[in-house]
Amino acid sequence: MTEVELRVFVAIVKNYFEQQTAVAADVYTPYLADPTALPIFDYTGVIGISGVRQGCVYFTAPAEMLRRILKHAGETDLSVRNLADLAGEIGNTISGNARRQFGHEFLISVPVVIKGLGQTISLPKGVKAYVIPFCWERLDAALVVSVV
Amino acid sequence: MTRFGFGRYRALALAIGLFLLLQVGLFALDRNISAQLRADAVYERLASRQFAVHLQVIQDSTLLLHGGALTDKQREDRIRQLDRSATHFGRTLEVFSTGGTTVGKRDIEVHVEALAIPRAQEILRTAQTAWSPVAAAIAALKAAPGPAEAAEPARVILTAVPPLRKEMVEVATLMDDVASERAATLGMAKIGALSLAAVNFFAILFYLAVYLRRSDQELERARKETADILRTTQEGLFLLDQQNRTGTQYSRALERILGTTEFSGKDFFSLLQPMVSEKTLATTREYIELLFKHDVKEKLVADLNPLNCVQVFVGQGTGRPETRYLEFGFNRVKEAGRITHLLVTANDITQRILLERSLKETEARARDQVGMLVDILQIEPAALQQFLRTAREGVQTINGLLQAQETGATERGSKVHALFRQSHRMKGDAAALGLKNMAAAFERLEGTLTGMHENHSLTGEDFLPVTVQVKSIYEQLDAIESVFAQIGQARVSVSLEPHRVGHDPATAQQPFVQRWNDFAQEIAVRHGNTVELNYCGPDLAVLPDALQDAVNTIVNQFIRNAVVHGIEPAEDRKRLGKPATGRLTIHLAQREDGGVDLSFRDDGRGISVEHVRQVALEKGRLSAEEAATWDPRRIIGLIFEPSVSTRATADGDAGRGVGLDAVREVVARLGGSIRLGTTANEYCRFRVGLGAPAMGSAR
Repeated sequence: MTEVELRVFVAIVKNYFEQQTAVAADVYTPYLADPTALPIFDYTGVIGISGVRQGCVYFTAPAEMLRRILKHAGETDLSVRNLADLAGEIGNTISGNARRQFGHEFLISVPVVIKGLGQTISLPKGVKAYVIPFCWERLDAALVVSVV
Repeated sequence: MTRFGFGRYRALALAIGLFLLLQVGLFALDRNISAQLRADAVYERLASRQFAVHLQVIQDSTLLLHGGALTDKQREDRIRQLDRSATHFGRTLEVFSTGGTTVGKRDIEVHVEALAIPRAQEILRTAQTAWSPVAAAIAALKAAPGPAEAAEPARVILTAVPPLRKEMVEVATLMDDVASERAATLGMAKIGALSLAAVNFFAILFYLAVYLRRSDQELERARKETADILRTTQEGLFLLDQQNRTGTQYSRALERILGTTEFSGKDFFSLLQPMVSEKTLATTREYIELLFKHDVKEKLVADLNPLNCVQVFVGQGTGRPETRYLEFGFNRVKEAGRITHLLVTANDITQRILLERSLKETEARARDQVGMLVDILQIEPAALQQFLRTAREGVQTINGLLQAQETGATERGSKVHALFRQSHRMKGDAAALGLKNMAAAFERLEGTLTGMHENHSLTGEDFLPVTVQVKSIYEQLDAIESVFAQIGQARVSVSLEPHRVGHDPATAQQPFVQRWNDFAQEIAVRHGNTVELNYCGPDLAVLPDALQDAVNTIVNQFIRNAVVHGIEPAEDRKRLGKPATGRLTIHLAQREDGGVDLSFRDDGRGISVEHVRQVALEKGRLSAEEAATWDPRRIIGLIFEPSVSTRATADGDAGRGVGLDAVREVVARLGGSIRLGTTANEYCRFRVGLGAPAMGSAR
């Protein structure tokens, strides 16, 4: 994964916040983490990448952040189901935009939503993943990219 | 140009031609015989009339001979009638013999040819001989004044005419026979012609049946062969017409290659559209248009084929999308010199492309590994292990620095400095060991960090290139560890280059001293100096790991600092009365408390207070007032601060002002101290005291 490719994913998430909430999200210093030490918040939208490049990209956020995003959008239904749908929508936004940006470079799947730590995310083994922390309205979230 | 030929239909055409010929022949024969039969009918009618005339003549002659009761008028009428009958009879006899015109029924003139039957002519000659007295007798009758005078001519007539009946019967019979014969001939000819026509018809029928059967068999065989080929070939095959529509026949492999079963009669570009980019689609359209142009040479445009090796997306929306590499080939199909279709071949070359890519990667990896192997083989295993341990911890420290989040640009600027120090330290260690790629990676990282240093409004995202490069360094470390593990037990101590011997032959042979010496020589060569390194002290291996790493890092930085900044070029040294070769002297002593005292001395130009002051001023480290008021000791102390390098330009060896900063950081971590002594143009000596590391402390 090159710097340019990483920037595409970062830009997608930043644009999402700006367009949906009109409040910019801060990007903190990206770092590397082993697959066993990756950040996972309450809701995670995972998109799989296959083809010549393999791996996954996920955006993980706490429930409170998702609730606030829904409120920004004027949504009153803050149920668990709606929060999960929002995590899926963010994943879908990443997936759709990445597909447009990368064309045929990546085969990008539809997003899968994971709640909490109940399910495992399939990541390339033995490879450090990029963790790009985001902060929005003083709440932390993270974009994780692990593609080989 | 079209050339018409019967080809395989020759036999059929001949049979039909023969049939028509037979029909024409039969028609001609029928027409000929019919004409003859019509002539015979005329003869027969005339012969029949001759009988009637003959009887009339006999009757009239008899009345004239025995007709005493006839009035004159009746007699004259009889004679006139007899004359007319006789004239007609005689004329007809003559016409039968020589041909000509006579009078038929109802006094209609009839033209006939002479009878062509020799026997009939013979009979006619006899009849004409017998008839010849009749004309004279008729004339005598006409001239006879009364019945008495008419008796004799009438008798002559009655004598001559009755026998003629026999000839007339014979002629009539002959003519009847001839007519019957001709009718029979015509009948036979018709039967024969009809038989031949029937035979010909059945021959045609048989031929057609055989031919059609054979054609059907050939067609079926060809169809089966085509079907077998299309079913079994591993290549996608189909035809493309000028409207860009795919043909109805295509190979089964095509469905597998393109991942679709709905292919027949489709628009080719609609099929391609979801698989390739818009640009590729547009280029393909132009290429196919070119191929359909008659004035464009097929071979000349072959290189323009945009689908020669194209990455496609197949099975999108089916839940199992995949990327494939396909190779399409286009060949013109011509008919009578005109391009009617393109034969398109499609092959799935994914495996080949992936294999080629894998081979290239393997080759590159092998090349890198060989280079790395050469580097590694020159390094003493313990030293390499030590480096790997230090480097991994160093990179983890860098990653830890990245992970620690700051919110302000100032804090992030400090983070850049910290990252730089760490990187610089590891670059020195890598270069000291001769791990060129690793040193270069840290060099690149330093370059990135230098650029960031100028940025006073750093954001977290600005660190992205740093993180990417750190990942690359991790991967390099993994690769070195992998190679190191592979050569593991089989490794022998290999020295590809002769090492310079130090002052003390025993200690100079120690691997870590050799490494320091090699490192010093490498830098000296790059900077046009010559140096000699002497070490006096214990084997580093006797020290705890943390001290080993610290001493090694510090000495490396001192070596770099001394050779780059201290040791003068040989010419300058001679001018100053010094030996041409610069001398680096290292003393190490273990203390009773477990710590060590390290002394590093070079006999170079020493440290110029004024030079350091000037540099600190230029780099904004000191204000003009500070520069003027600070004492020399404090000024000299600046060389341990980041970003103060007395070297004009930065390169892989020095100039970034972090070498001694890294030394200070190591010393500070171990709770040690640094002292510096220098005399301009004489020497520079660092004395470092390092305490014993705490148990379990990080190196």
